[in-house]
Amino acid sequence: MKRFSLCLVVVFLFFTIGGVAFAEIKNPDTYIYLSISEPDTLDPHFAYDTASGEIINFVYENLIAYKGESVSEFVPRLALEVPSAENGLVKDDGKTYVFPIRKGVKFHNGNDLTPEDVEYSFERGILFDPSAGPMWMLIEALFNYGTLEDFVADKLGVSWQDMFNEDGSLKNEEYAQKLVDFYNQYIDPAIEVEGDNVVFRLVRPFAPFLSILAQNANWSAVLDKETSISMGLWDGKAENWWKYHNLKKEESPLYQQAIGTGPFKFVEWDRAQQKVTLVRNEEYWGEKPKLAKVIIWGIDEWSTRRAMLETGDADQIYTPTQYYDQVKELPGVKVEKGSRITVTTMHFNWTVSKDSKYLGSGQLDGEGIPPDFFSDVHVRKAFCYAFDYDTFIQEVLKGFGHRVPSVVPRGLLGYNENLPMYPFDLEKAKEEFQQAWGGQVWEKGFKLTLLYNTGNEARQTACEMLKENIESLNPKFKIEVQGVQWPTYLDAYKQGQLPAFVIGWLADYPDPHNFIFTYYHSGGVYGGSQGQAFIDFAKANLNKLIEDAIAETNPAERAKKYEEIQKIAYENALGIPFYQPEEIFSMRTWVKGWYLNPMRPGEVNYDTIWKEE
Amino acid sequence: MVFYILRRLLFLPLALFGVSLLVFTMIGFLSPYQRLATFINNPERLKGENVDKLISQYGLDDPIFIQYLRWLKNVFRGNLGWSYVGKGPVFEVILERFPYTLELTIFSVIPIIFLGISLGVISALHHNRVVDHALRIFAVVGWSFPDFVFGLMVLMVFYSALGWFPPGNLSIWAETVVKSPVFRHITGMLTFDALLNGRLDIFWDALRHLLGPIFTLTYVELAFILRITRSSMLEVLQRDYVRTARAKGLSEKVVINKHARRNALIPVATVSGQTVVGLLAGTVIVETIFNRTGLGSFMALAAQQLDYASIMGGTLFFGLILILGNLCVDVSYAFIDPRVRLE
Repeated sequence: MKRFSLCLVVVFLFFTIGGVAFAEIKNPDTYIYLSISEPDTLDPHFAYDTASGEIINFVYENLIAYKGESVSEFVPRLALEVPSAENGLVKDDGKTYVFPIRKGVKFHNGNDLTPEDVEYSFERGILFDPSAGPMWMLIEALFNYGTLEDFVADKLGVSWQDMFNEDGSLKNEEYAQKLVDFYNQYIDPAIEVEGDNVVFRLVRPFAPFLSILAQNANWSAVLDKETSISMGLWDGKAENWWKYHNLKKEESPLYQQAIGTGPFKFVEWDRAQQKVTLVRNEEYWGEKPKLAKVIIWGIDEWSTRRAMLETGDADQIYTPTQYYDQVKELPGVKVEKGSRITVTTMHFNWTVSKDSKYLGSGQLDGEGIPPDFFSDVHVRKAFCYAFDYDTFIQEVLKGFGHRVPSVVPRGLLGYNENLPMYPFDLEKAKEEFQQAWGGQVWEKGFKLTLLYNTGNEARQTACEMLKENIESLNPKFKIEVQGVQWPTYLDAYKQGQLPAFVIGWLADYPDPHNFIFTYYHSGGVYGGSQGQAFIDFAKANLNKLIEDAIAETNPAERAKKYEEIQKIAYENALGIPFYQPEEIFSMRTWVKGWYLNPMRPGEVNYDTIWKEE
Repeated sequence: MVFYILRRLLFLPLALFGVSLLVFTMIGFLSPYQRLATFINNPERLKGENVDKLISQYGLDDPIFIQYLRWLKNVFRGNLGWSYVGKGPVFEVILERFPYTLELTIFSVIPIIFLGISLGVISALHHNRVVDHALRIFAVVGWSFPDFVFGLMVLMVFYSALGWFPPGNLSIWAETVVKSPVFRHITGMLTFDALLNGRLDIFWDALRHLLGPIFTLTYVELAFILRITRSSMLEVLQRDYVRTARAKGLSEKVVINKHARRNALIPVATVSGQTVVGLLAGTVIVETIFNRTGLGSFMALAAQQLDYASIMGGTLFFGLILILGNLCVDVSYAFIDPRVRLE
């Protein structure tokens, strides 16, 4: 036995020899990027996360694309020209857009791109409109509705649920004709082929329309009609279109297949390894990529990612800013910095659900807060004054971030760094608390719980700093900071139980509407989560301004309208705009030609990057 | 004995049914919103009506027994549901990942058990001398080392610094070969498949990727076996029959190997069985650090995201392994210890 174990040790050591040398470029024409997530789905009309978007973005193409790092200038892609009022391709005061379609473009299976493919792709997406998917953007832009089902219900006068049985069959055959008519009357004419052009008709001008279509926006990717139909996607007919509506994620035939016209072909999505492989499209119509192969690999553990960058087995890795110190001096590694269009803010729930566990006693007796605690503007202002913005950005974010006056991030129309901002001022916070609830808050004190989603250290620290500062004002003020897992957070958030929530938003398209509407309109994703009292406030003071601003076509006028909305947000302390984060990107020094477009999902421009020492 | 095994096997479906009912009921205590976390992992997608639509689309608001019956009906049809974590049918995902776990288990169990037993015997034979103390400290350190710390150390030393044990399953070149049509997949375990395909280079590469996890697991798990062996051996060495054997004038080697060690191994068999079953259930930390695609990391993710189809499928699978594993251990007693009769 003794001899046997000795043998084992020898074998062990023997196998370990075969070490790897250092320094030369590993895998010279393959790019290996380590991310933390894998795609959710490869269906361009379902995907609504950056990990999916990253793949779709290089396999499929859109009509137009952003120019380099810009988010306001466009270049043509599958279209021959970018429509504008000057070239006559934007007509009817911004309600009609004409795209001449490029010829000689081939899909990865050899089929030719035609204008019909473009029309089909958009219509399929809109009819499909999966729950919690991205298609609402096009539906809002083209038809001014939130979802296809709302649109149908409004035009037909019957709700979707009343028309369909649980198994998806129609309750009454007479609805079939109505649905066919609906398609013919509204959907089909909105996107039409006219000769070599595809024409979009909007119900009203929608300023950010082009950015919803631009490359990086996977929901506007162009599919091959013939292949799609043969795979079992919508058959392109008015009859029975509803059978292709809102399928489950895994039921979409495009879930893990992708055939586009883009610079890379999709090879494989290894689900067990969370690894996606792409290869260069040798027949690509534009400039061919320099890389032959791209591997995008989800590795959750930071140390593993870092070690693989260090040895050169990876070319670039996802690096949260808290690990900056671990990569900045790594030999053979460089760190780039950049900002995306995103903000992190705290918002208040003006009418918390009464059964919430986070209100303490539920009354203003020093042991809790009433559900409508935050409907008093003095309370909200006091919170805004009590956050130490600069210390947070310097100490916690290590300088990777900056202040924003409202939810509109830097780089967008309507962003103005001269707009008023709440300074960190505990004296003022104290004054506001003394006025809140007719002086009762100061006299009796309060107790509430702030929740954060575990795993996000920056948000946790933000909550704790707020707690320290507010508790220092009055010994009767008590704030508990509690970390919970995402399911619990989601539950409390959806049930309206959170007195306040820290949340982020990453731009779907680079326009202030995407932020202003989301946070401040009563129908916005976050606007609708701030309680009934806020919804009433928004309906009375904000909704109309927001709707006017989006229909305005003159950019200077629009900017003014957005500034006005932001002033209302400031005066009424509609949330605490914590910061706009900056990101770091760590890669090997042999990576050449890297740049960041803030709207690009994922971190890498695989189509133009190369490796060279 | 055959009768005994059959009887035990008859209990299997019953036990699995009980386990599934228990786990499902526990999931049922969660609100539909909590369980929606499987489908929506990003607050940006929480538009009001979306949430309620998804809940009714997946039937999350139905009474729990209806949901259970629906699940059970599908199981009888051979459909364990869709895994959102594994991005495929649960059954397929488990079958895809299990070979990786099995392979790691096979390779780690050998050093764990043999080193554990031999070091344990050495330790006992040098009772209270330097070798014993050194081995005990070695074991205690390994046992009390959190595996993520030791795993990270192994990764840093043997990969970052020396470049020996890379994380993952295979190198890029080897993966290209393995995924090509000429490479036949027989066991699903890369090392064995490489041998069966006659590709020593790929066997070597797959093994190199396995060494980090094996090394980590061996050190962390070894202590348990070592300590059980040591104490059991010490106890046996005091027994009358050992003294008798010595008094008979048998050589020390025969006394130790034949009379003492064999008897000392009975409790070790139980513990080893547990170790194997534990390893088969996946080793979350080691799989995560070394980026192995086994069942452990999959189940951990499924539990975090409340992916109930994956949780249920995994539970059934682990239940099966646990029951069969224990059965094997019980049967092995009959061979190790002649006093045990299985009836």
